[in-house]
Amino acid sequence: MRKQFKDTFFDLAKSDPRVVMILGDISVYMFRDFQAQFPDRFYNMGICEQTLISAAAGLRSQGFIPVVHTIGAFLTERAMEQIKIDLVYNDYPACLVSCGGTVDWAWDGPSHQAWVDVSFMRNLPKTQVFQPGTKKETDFLIRRHYADPITSYFRLSDFSHPLDLKMEAFRGIVVKRGQGNTTVITAGAMLDPVLKASEGLDVTILYFHTIKPFDHELVSQFANTKLKVVHDSHGLFEAVCEVAGRSVEKLGLPDHFCGCYGTVNDARRDIGLDVGDIGEFLRK
Amino acid sequence: MKRTMKNLPDTTKIRENILRCAVASGHGHIPTSFSIVEALVAVYATMKHDPGNPLAEDRDLFVLSKGHAALGYYCVLAEYGYLTLEECMTIGTAKSRLGCHPDRLKIPGVEASTGSLGHGIGIAAGMALGIKIRGSSRKVYTLVGDGEANEGSVWEAIMVAVDQKLHNLTILYDDNRSQVRCLQIPNPLERLAAFGCDAQEVDGHDVNAILAALRTPAKGVKAIVCRTEKGRGCATLLGDFHAWHRRSPSQAELDILLRELHAQTV
Repeated sequence: MRKQFKDTFFDLAKSDPRVVMILGDISVYMFRDFQAQFPDRFYNMGICEQTLISAAAGLRSQGFIPVVHTIGAFLTERAMEQIKIDLVYNDYPACLVSCGGTVDWAWDGPSHQAWVDVSFMRNLPKTQVFQPGTKKETDFLIRRHYADPITSYFRLSDFSHPLDLKMEAFRGIVVKRGQGNTTVITAGAMLDPVLKASEGLDVTILYFHTIKPFDHELVSQFANTKLKVVHDSHGLFEAVCEVAGRSVEKLGLPDHFCGCYGTVNDARRDIGLDVGDIGEFLRK
Repeated sequence: MKRTMKNLPDTTKIRENILRCAVASGHGHIPTSFSIVEALVAVYATMKHDPGNPLAEDRDLFVLSKGHAALGYYCVLAEYGYLTLEECMTIGTAKSRLGCHPDRLKIPGVEASTGSLGHGIGIAAGMALGIKIRGSSRKVYTLVGDGEANEGSVWEAIMVAVDQKLHNLTILYDDNRSQVRCLQIPNPLERLAAFGCDAQEVDGHDVNAILAALRTPAKGVKAIVCRTEKGRGCATLLGDFHAWHRRSPSQAELDILLRELHAQTV
């Protein structure tokens, strides 16, 4: 997904001279072709996320489309106020592209876990939040939204789901239509364990690559079923709850950080979000 | 529009306007506004700008990073034709465009909305970078406070500006020593120089000295430490600027402050 992000913006930069890449000393080697071709539009600016965001606002004021990239926890949670004030309040929007998901890099511990990035970005006014689940979705969402006149957060993961879904901007997708009374709702790479956990279960699966603006209308169509949200972040559950009239069940992040090192699956097991946990949640 | 030295705004009159606005509205930070009057007058006398066309593409840019000095900023903008004094009197009131921190989407001539400290200088650095990418000769000016320089983001932004060789950026550092009761920065000139700025120090209440510093060709990111007094012009304010930080005078107090102001040559 991260390489696709680079490839897509490298391609866009060829035709759009407004694109300026700002890195926080992450993914730099991957961007060496971008840097070689556009040396005046590539800045590995430093490990100073607050200034990356403030400078992006300044660049936007001069007509550029700044793209700021680093690890999600630092990009959003460290620079929260710069995002709120410099990008949103000032109406100097930027593209924010994170990596590391929630527990993609569990071995690095809680300091590297983006915990409230999606909910924070979603709750700010005039923002868009995307959580692509594949390279194709990453490419689609960036091309469709990079030049939008509001701040857009692209939350990338190292992991993908296996489906090639038909994409439509701002629309959720019915991945599987069951006959039963349960509708499971998920986003991004979490679709992979959801698919595995729902094998043999008669459930409907709704998938969202876009958390904000949220496709409430799709959820409304299934509002007479039991709605169950499975998400590796905060934000999707709250969006689903905005569809009035139904209580929604949630399997999400616990009320403590993930202290388990190891792989993403080790971490998901630790916080109760692995395939077994999801299966149990869906059968409940 | 550029003013000649002869018709620079009267800084005593600006201070009087600041006081009258604070009394009329009940809002505004007076002492911090008083400390930057000369710096703002000098910057607006130096910048290429046009109140008749605040979005002119070839204009220079100014960002008030210490946004709580908005009242002083508004009164200087009024002198340069962006606002009327009548409107400045409405600061902080329900139907006003003028908050106690400036909003760029509401006020002509304001380039960045500030208020939370340590943001404007980073935005100014990004503006300077954008101008540099375009190969333009436009300049960017920003004014930070010594209290604001408690924020690490100020020094982050300075490091990035120096590293990116933003020689079109000038940082004015209002050294009004507002932090005497907590985290003091006793040697801003040395610190700014150590961070790589082309730093100099001036009497921040001497418009001509600031103008000269602004005109000096820079060998890098220019930093001008303005030695100032928080509440300059009124002994009452100087005597207890903490108490007056965000306080509006009563009519009786206004009379005293005006008497003090006009008894001085500021």
